[in-house]
Amino acid sequence: MSRRNRSGNSTTFVNNVRGPTSALTSFLNERGIRRANPAPRPATPPPAVEDESSQGDLEEEEETSTAASSSTPPSRSTRTARLTRGRTLPTPTPTSRTTTTRSESESSSDDDDDDEEEEERLIPIAVTVRSTRSVRTRAAIASTSSSKATASSSKAAASSSKAVASSSKAAGPSKKRRKKDDSDDSEDEEFHDITGYVSRSKFSHKGRMPQGSNRIEFCSRCRARFTIKAGTSPAVDEDDGGLLCPTCAGEESAPNVTPKPKPAKRARRKQQKADIESQVPTLQDLCIQKIASCIEDVEAFGDISEISMDKICKIISRNRSLNTDTVHLFLDTRHTDLSLYDCTDITADGLQNIAKFCPNLRSLKLKFCGRINDTVMNYYAEHLTQLSSLSLIGPILITEAIYIKLFKTVGERLERFELKHSARFSLNALKALCEHCPNLTHLRLGDLNLMNDDWIEPITGLTKLVSLRLRNPERERMTTESLVKLIQTVGSGLVELELKGFVSVEDPVLLEAIRPSCVRLQRLNILGCEEFTTEAVETLFKDWSTNGGLTYLNLENCVMLGDAALEAITAHSGATLEDLNIKGLDELTKESLLTLARCENLGSLDASWCRAMDDEVLEKLVEAAPKLAKVIVWGDHRLTECCPSRKGMKVVGREGDYIDLRFM
Amino acid sequence: MAASTGESEYVTLESSDGFQFIVHREAAMLSGTVRNMLSSAGQFTESTEGVIHFRDIKAVILEKVCKYWYYKARHLNSVTEIPHFEIEPEYALETLMAADFLDT
Repeated sequence: MSRRNRSGNSTTFVNNVRGPTSALTSFLNERGIRRANPAPRPATPPPAVEDESSQGDLEEEEETSTAASSSTPPSRSTRTARLTRGRTLPTPTPTSRTTTTRSESESSSDDDDDDEEEEERLIPIAVTVRSTRSVRTRAAIASTSSSKATASSSKAAASSSKAVASSSKAAGPSKKRRKKDDSDDSEDEEFHDITGYVSRSKFSHKGRMPQGSNRIEFCSRCRARFTIKAGTSPAVDEDDGGLLCPTCAGEESAPNVTPKPKPAKRARRKQQKADIESQVPTLQDLCIQKIASCIEDVEAFGDISEISMDKICKIISRNRSLNTDTVHLFLDTRHTDLSLYDCTDITADGLQNIAKFCPNLRSLKLKFCGRINDTVMNYYAEHLTQLSSLSLIGPILITEAIYIKLFKTVGERLERFELKHSARFSLNALKALCEHCPNLTHLRLGDLNLMNDDWIEPITGLTKLVSLRLRNPERERMTTESLVKLIQTVGSGLVELELKGFVSVEDPVLLEAIRPSCVRLQRLNILGCEEFTTEAVETLFKDWSTNGGLTYLNLENCVMLGDAALEAITAHSGATLEDLNIKGLDELTKESLLTLARCENLGSLDASWCRAMDDEVLEKLVEAAPKLAKVIVWGDHRLTECCPSRKGMKVVGREGDYIDLRFM
Repeated sequence: MAASTGESEYVTLESSDGFQFIVHREAAMLSGTVRNMLSSAGQFTESTEGVIHFRDIKAVILEKVCKYWYYKARHLNSVTEIPHFEIEPEYALETLMAADFLDT
């Protein structure tokens, strides 16, 4: 790789490495992106491969290590001392990290401590770049590496590998453009040293680094990602000293075989795919897929169960085959519930037929029903005499007057009402709903363009509410005060509360409204309520003895929430939680994630972008929660291919997997 | 299970039109309904004699279902890619109903 383009020059850097830099290297440096903390150093003897390294490489290697040890800038000496002391503690340094390939991407610091690390463990390591890390970490690496280099030089001398040599070669390339950065860097270091504060961009994973967990590396030959299990040493490429994935290592043993990266990769993919697909689909699902694929030729379903029919409906909706003709298959006078998941292709007449053919409907759900108009709605109001649950997603044509008429007609029968994506549903319509339908138990309003603070007051009159979902009100138009008043009034009956995307409401909603009022609450969704603070959530859940515990909690993108919040939640609702979403809570550290193990009944967890999530956390959780069936871990780069799982449990979004659209 | 209770290795399934299918007990056990019939605590004819009559399932459908059981048994823990299980469109609905009943 580009490690070969070594050329002398004079700039001294953070890690005393000289040489021209690639564009990527300078980019990484500018962003403060550096390699992870050094891995713990197992006292394993050097693998035999290393002894085969050539004499020339050895010389180069020695040269570098001397340089590293001798030329540490004095400004960093104190830290060096401190860190060296720290290293004597028995706690192993965290290991897991994301790596890039051995290409021009390496920064000088990387090279340097790679040298170091390799000397110690006598295992060459592909140069690694972590996506986020603090300057502080980097400094630590630099200083420790220099101190270690001297300490271990005697041991390393005999057996230093080619990899070391190659990294020392690369140690050369990265200097020219970095003079300016260097000064910036040192300033940063000082700043971090004083404050100890870490900003997002330089967030330190030191505190949440996994310990003794698996590592992900890239094969130097086929570029495939692979995982090195904790405490094991990977195979080493004899030619350039890079790490080899098990596949390439296998080829290695067969003499004179030129590595063919692509087939190796494909084989690996295939293997993974097979692992996932070894779950044989049920015969019912196979049949449903078959029926859905030739839905046009089906004349009638006959006597199949409603569950199967609903499944078929979902599939053909997804295939966008639900239209005026095929919708007839789902209409029958016996039906009391009907859900159509994509009404885009059903004409107004087709929609009117629903009321004609299914006059006994109690529950009707129409998704994407953009074609439904006043005439049809009027017809529904008059002919669906049993209707008690109505759900309309995207009824863009229905006007205010017809809504008011509908609510007057349906009146006290209506128990559930859901309306989403309509720009014409107005305050007057809502007032009519609240006035004429006092028996509403479930109310779901979302993505209604006109929704604002004035809408809250009428809802206060619906005292029988069990489930209230309000979603995405007009931005900045919803005040904390009115929401507090609403929840204080109706909160005592609520089992489910969703306040999604209330970006401007603040802590009093949690403290003055939810905590004292919502004693029966089981499901809480505050997705995207960005103003809620850790302290408020902590106070809400701390000793919340009036509430028996939540079964569902969604905190997605409540970005301010930190450790204390999650710990309070697991302490309060740990035993009852079945579904938890902590997506995007990047502030969480491993410590609080480990408390997830209190959630014994957890069935589903979305911990995407909780970057401190690692194998150990998941392992504890899998042990503690026997019902855990689905874990979503997008962007959790510390989870490796070997992250714990069990049969029947889905781990979605693991970085090592290929993307399987069936899971989306 | 067959070995432990001394039951025969095969069970007989009879379709509504009188065809008999003799299948491995293990394969038939992949159906929740059949499993309950064969392993229920009470002394039902099905569990003692190992013969089950399906009065609502035609031979063509039952054959398909049996094929599916063997297909599933074969690929249950397979690491290689599983071939597609072909269902004729004309039988898909009936097979679905049978599969629904048999909990397969």
